[in-house]
Amino acid sequence: MTAATRSAPARPTRPSTRNRWLATLATLALVVWAMATTGIDFERILRLPEGIGLLFYRMFLETGPEWSFLPNAIEGMLQSIQIAWIGTIIGAVISLPLGLLGARNVSGIFGSNVMRQILNAIRAVPEVILAVVVFIPMVGIGGAASAYAGTLAIGVHSIGTLGKLTAEVVEGIDPGPVEAARAAGGNTLQVQRWGVIPQVMPEIIAFWLYRFEINIRASAILGVVGAGGIGTSLEQAMTFSRFPRAGLIIIVIIVATILVDTASGWLRRRIIEGSTARIEAGDTEGLGSPLRMDSDAG
Amino acid sequence: MIRFDNASVVYPGGVTALKNLSLEIPDGELMVIVGLSGAGKSTLIRAINGLVPLTDGDIFIDDVSVRSASPRAMRELRSRIGMIFQTFNLVKRTTVLNNVLMGRLHNAGTMRSLLGMYRAEDVEIGMQALERVGIVEKAYTRAANLSGGQQQRVGIARALAQQPKILLADEPVASLDPPTSHVVMRDLQRINRDLGITTIVNLHFLDLAKVYGERIIGLRAGELVYDGTGAQADENVFRDIYGRSLTADDLMGEAASAAALPS
Amino acid sequence: MTAEAPPAATRPARPRRSPWGIAALLVFAAITWWAASEEFGIGFDVIQLVTNLTRGSQIMGEFFPPNWDYLPRTYGPMLETFKMAVIASALGCGVALFISFLASRVTTPNPPTYLVSRSVLNVIRALPDLLYALIFVAAVGVGPLPGILALFFFNVGVVVKLLSETIDGVDTGPIEAARATGANRTQTVRWAVVPQVLPNYVAYSLYVFELNIRASAVIGIVGAGGIGNNINTERKFFNYDNLVVILIEIFVFVVIIELISIWLRRRLV
Repeated sequence: MTAATRSAPARPTRPSTRNRWLATLATLALVVWAMATTGIDFERILRLPEGIGLLFYRMFLETGPEWSFLPNAIEGMLQSIQIAWIGTIIGAVISLPLGLLGARNVSGIFGSNVMRQILNAIRAVPEVILAVVVFIPMVGIGGAASAYAGTLAIGVHSIGTLGKLTAEVVEGIDPGPVEAARAAGGNTLQVQRWGVIPQVMPEIIAFWLYRFEINIRASAILGVVGAGGIGTSLEQAMTFSRFPRAGLIIIVIIVATILVDTASGWLRRRIIEGSTARIEAGDTEGLGSPLRMDSDAG
Repeated sequence: MIRFDNASVVYPGGVTALKNLSLEIPDGELMVIVGLSGAGKSTLIRAINGLVPLTDGDIFIDDVSVRSASPRAMRELRSRIGMIFQTFNLVKRTTVLNNVLMGRLHNAGTMRSLLGMYRAEDVEIGMQALERVGIVEKAYTRAANLSGGQQQRVGIARALAQQPKILLADEPVASLDPPTSHVVMRDLQRINRDLGITTIVNLHFLDLAKVYGERIIGLRAGELVYDGTGAQADENVFRDIYGRSLTADDLMGEAASAAALPS
Repeated sequence: MTAEAPPAATRPARPRRSPWGIAALLVFAAITWWAASEEFGIGFDVIQLVTNLTRGSQIMGEFFPPNWDYLPRTYGPMLETFKMAVIASALGCGVALFISFLASRVTTPNPPTYLVSRSVLNVIRALPDLLYALIFVAAVGVGPLPGILALFFFNVGVVVKLLSETIDGVDTGPIEAARATGANRTQTVRWAVVPQVLPNYVAYSLYVFELNIRASAVIGIVGAGGIGNNINTERKFFNYDNLVVILIEIFVFVVIIELISIWLRRRLV
């Protein structure tokens, strides 16, 4: 009897990708349907470049932006920044306890779920709608009151998003320090203060800063509906076809937003870096990282 | 044949990784490189397929200059050189077969490879490569679900799928346990013998180097300090290459000699 | 012979509080004061806030009961809102995929392309969706078209930023492996980078779609189509009972979309 020879293992068959194809087709069908039924005629699309080009020309090139409006624009932008600042603080302060309560490891599964639903509800309504439907009627129009409405709208909406993010961070912490605090006999408040908060603060503060960046944009928008800030000037400029002024306002908004983004981004990176130890991968022969995709050798 | 002609590499920071290296590697040879970390092993290997550019001298592969190759010529050159890595460098999220087919990318052309519609011949070559390393049954498994040894074998299959003339292996077993390391080294030995592919391997463990290396070269601070057979390389030779006494870290141990194919 | 006690270690001096921390706190307090003060800022006064809120809640009484008869008139605009979000998300995410590769350190073809892409990206991101809507309405007239354009730019800004940063963090090993096989740039990106970032890309796309649903409800206020138009009309006539209907409707709609999105995300992972 000869020694049994091992037969080569059979090649596996290709798994079916039918589900993936169905999903892709369904999405494509949805998009095509939406495009077809939206009632935009081709003619308008063809005239697009012309319309945009003309507007761009009128805003920036015909007579140049209206530089004389700069002081007003800066004043408006500063007010928008103030609105965003206070609004973010409101959101941050109130979202901190709410976010803690929304975490499973603080309030248990049921309690945290209730809080999360409340936070979701707050998040679901866009700031503009909040301002238009709730706060402006409440607070009234005109001058200081409108800035109020904007601040409240931003503040309330921020509670929703920040609360959700805070809850997620708190759920992700290392339970060790919390146990230690409890074992040492701390009451609930102390456990939170010493066991939970130190771990999550850097990340949460980073979220606050990120939220501030977003709220700058929101407050610029709120002015359009009359809730204070530079948006009001822009809306008026567009309504009265004062395009050079609109051009200037847009420039001011872009510059201010980029400045705030850069400062906030830098601050966020410093905070995160300061709290986590960075382990650089060993790079013994100095091959460098990251590998570039650009020009090959030779 | 691979010929190094006074090849030097100086990194932007001023570090000299290779210094005036001259060397000839005939076709079909299995060569092992040893040396301390930072001695230039990785640089030497990557200089062959141009992943690291030379700052002086040249390398000739069958009389084609590596240093003066255009980007297109370089890609053509690389398609004939397979490479396996210490960290395997597989795309973890996709299947084993897709990883192996990366070896056919150069031949498949941009359009086909973009859509993932490989020709039947290319898929066949991929499957055969997987069969040669003995894991074809995992062809449609996600790469992340394999063990270290299996992943490295996929890496070897990927290189084989290129149908290469040269195989470069940068510390292929450094991340593997001893038994698996032997399996991989035996595979490399077998591929070298059966297919006649010039094989160049960086090894960290000296006993492994002695067992599998027909020819061993030693690098120290970027310079060639030893060139001889595995049999000739003894403790003194290694001490010269390393510039210090050997430690336990330099040896894998575990009956290294028993595992290799008879020479 | 008695054992000697170990020499007493000198206690280290208490480290001084970081000057940076104190400075940051001072700056923060100063800005807050400036922003809230009557003179320079918006005049934020907590007491006045409370009085306003109590007065405001009386006005809230006008909101209820909601005028449910108004609801059917909102179906058409809500549908248009939804479609605008779908189109803008699809187009925006599609284009963003390609631009992201230019805007990432890892996959950009050369430094100038990288710099230009990132600068353009920063400018695009600096404008919020409603402002784009304002601009496009002025450029092409009212209707859903300017809305779609506005959301398109907004989407490209958001997705490129998120995706390019994800690409910055990919495992570069497979990229090296692909280069070593002689693959060109496109092939390398397709097979070594895209598989790594695809799940993130899908998540970002769904996220942006959710943002679009909310945004497209709003941009109608400046004429860019969707239910925002209705909001604008009703608020001018102070029809709060109608506005509340819209508010609730938007709320329900967003929550439903969010639930679907969560379900989808779980299926994909």
